[in-house]
Amino acid sequence: MSEIHLDLDVLSTLKEVMEDGYPELLDTFLKDSEARLRVLHEERDAEMLSATAHSFKGSSSNMGAIRLAELCGELEQRAKQPSLRDIESLVNEIDSEFAHVRSLCREEREGFHC
Amino acid sequence: MQSSPEPLTILIAEDSAADRLLLSTIVRRQGHQVLTAANGAEAVEVYSQQRPHLVLMDAMMPVMDGFEAAQKIKQLAGDQLVPIIFLTSLTESEGLARCLEAGGDDFLAKPYNQVILAAKIKAMDRLRRLQATVVEQRDQIARHHDYLLNEQRVAKAVFDKIAHSGCLSAPNIRYLQSPYALFNGDLLLAAFNPAGDMHILLGDFTGHGLPAAVGAMPLAEVFYGMTAKGYGLAQILREMNAKLKRILPVDMFCCATLLSMSFQRCTVEVWNGGMPDGYLHDSLSGVRTPLPARHLPLGVLTPQLFDDRTEVHPLSVGDRVFLLSDGVIETSDRDDQPFGVERLQQVFSANREPDRLFEDIQQALRDFRGEARDDFSMVEVRLVAPTQLNPPPPVYSDSGQSSPLDWSVSFEFRAQTLKRFNPMPYLLQLLLEVHGLRAQSGALYNVLSELYSNALEHGVLGLDSSLKRDATGFARYYQERNARLDELGDGHVRVHLHVTPQGDGGRLVIEVEDSGKGFDVAKVLARPLDRDRLSGRGVSLVRQLCHQASWSDDGRNARVEFFWEALS
Amino acid sequence: MSVVTEVSPDGQKLTISIKGRFDFGRHQEFRESYEKLNMKPESIVVDLKEATYLDSSALGMLLLLRDHAGGDESDIRVVNSSSDVKKILAISNFDKLFDIS
Repeated sequence: MSEIHLDLDVLSTLKEVMEDGYPELLDTFLKDSEARLRVLHEERDAEMLSATAHSFKGSSSNMGAIRLAELCGELEQRAKQPSLRDIESLVNEIDSEFAHVRSLCREEREGFHC
Repeated sequence: MQSSPEPLTILIAEDSAADRLLLSTIVRRQGHQVLTAANGAEAVEVYSQQRPHLVLMDAMMPVMDGFEAAQKIKQLAGDQLVPIIFLTSLTESEGLARCLEAGGDDFLAKPYNQVILAAKIKAMDRLRRLQATVVEQRDQIARHHDYLLNEQRVAKAVFDKIAHSGCLSAPNIRYLQSPYALFNGDLLLAAFNPAGDMHILLGDFTGHGLPAAVGAMPLAEVFYGMTAKGYGLAQILREMNAKLKRILPVDMFCCATLLSMSFQRCTVEVWNGGMPDGYLHDSLSGVRTPLPARHLPLGVLTPQLFDDRTEVHPLSVGDRVFLLSDGVIETSDRDDQPFGVERLQQVFSANREPDRLFEDIQQALRDFRGEARDDFSMVEVRLVAPTQLNPPPPVYSDSGQSSPLDWSVSFEFRAQTLKRFNPMPYLLQLLLEVHGLRAQSGALYNVLSELYSNALEHGVLGLDSSLKRDATGFARYYQERNARLDELGDGHVRVHLHVTPQGDGGRLVIEVEDSGKGFDVAKVLARPLDRDRLSGRGVSLVRQLCHQASWSDDGRNARVEFFWEALS
Repeated sequence: MSVVTEVSPDGQKLTISIKGRFDFGRHQEFRESYEKLNMKPESIVVDLKEATYLDSSALGMLLLLRDHAGGDESDIRVVNSSSDVKKILAISNFDKLFDIS
């Protein structure tokens, strides 16, 4: 499992691509992610869980949140298993990883100059 | 970063807002215009309204997933290629297989790599443009094909007008031809000459389509024009060959078989240049004698080298001449083996009812090939009694006012002229200026031809008509005729024509003299009029067809008279 | 290449060999085989040993060759014809224009 919370190389590429849109991208990512996290906590349907985890994995990887993406990947696979055991602990782990990523993003946002 | 040479309109269908935003920005920076959709249904809607060049499609989306949306979009695109690149973090091969099954053309993994994305867009766009070119060319080809078909329709209409004067519908002719035979290069012409003889031409031009058809028109004009004027086969052949040699390119020519069937004389004259064997069917014995090609096709040799020598065969009533194009012989089966002449001979041997020959041949071809084909031509002509035929009366183009009624003219044709020149058409045209004679043009032509050929063959060339007692004798007779004609040094045939008014009508006297040895007139005239003998028919014929036939000067001078009443 | 040419060392004889089907598809190659020579050979040999089939376009091509080589003055021999090919040449009476063996 990777230890990278937010890959700086990815971030610098994103900055270069988005230019002035960089803050908006960060905000959109955070908003989307919070919504997804709510679903992960509340949802009982295995297919929904898996799909949401899959989606979260995708956008996290685009942002360079490697560890977060890997955890979501694991959840995506686990949710396909017949028993939903240990899902809750994995979701909590994703929760805390995201909290870490979120604060790094906010730092990025603050440090961003036009 | 390089942008693509041509800006495209690209649809991005992605449900994750952040990913959508990121991708849109990347694509816009590469110089393209961006449309977005947040789910599959929206993607289909946007596509159908805006028709972007390329689609980037997320595989997993709510409402309608990427796979279903992709299928719908491909359907909407129809002929055109709209490349769909799936966006996916599916790494298992199952996921990738689904992309392809759904009609995806490529996929891009998350996290997005801009360089790879740019390369894929460029590659997909190249394919898209290639497809567009192919579709446009296909449509162009279809349009040109329609033009060509139309041109052929026009050409055929023109040709049919030229061919209308033919007599293919005569009761003694049976034929089979594809409606578009003309464009396979196959030609079938038939016409009566003023004597009531039937001229038939079965031809096969090299090539297909308009080039083959284009040669047919001048050929048909020569054939019909000269036949109507009473020209013999040799002259018509020379003229057709010269014309084709002049107008066709070096590598084009026309294989042809020409027939002249005389119902009065019960003979058929044949010339075959490059066509498959024709067959002469003896109705009594059932034997079929082949008529092979002894000449090069028309349009190959210069006029100086052209060989117009024909073969003459005697016939009885009921005998048939059968001609076919090589489409029959060359019909091939699944293994590319040709039907061949041997199989045709087998059909002949097995044929019990001559009237069913065509059906037997067609059945044999079907059995051989396994399917019907119509790109061959066949024609069968039967010798019948002259009374069974109704040649249409010739049409005259003048007003009928001025008619020369009191005149005489004499011709002397000497050795060099006798060799290559047949004066019959000219003499006939001259006589037909007299309107009163027009109703008898058939008899006139027959009598004139008969007197002239007797004067030339028995008189000047000294040929013995008793040679013509059977088929072999016939062949020898005509060979001898050609040989003696080639060697002819001196001799002459004189033709005198006298037209005088008589009462309300008029009288024509024809005298034909030759420089030959003459014959025992009394003996020949004493023979009964016998239509079935092969030799000595000439004198019988003349006596049957006109008034006052008489011979003098030991048979060297023949004299006949024609009369006509006042025209109403 | 289904049309192979060979010029004799003294440049006087041109041999054109046809392999496979001698039909309309060979038109361009056949023409080029004699047109692009920069001198006119005295005699020409068309070798049909490996020719499997001959149709009316081939006859047309032979006429073009004959025309190029001087028409009635030309010296063209068509050799090694199979019996099928010989039959086709016989029906069209091309032995009156070419020396056929």
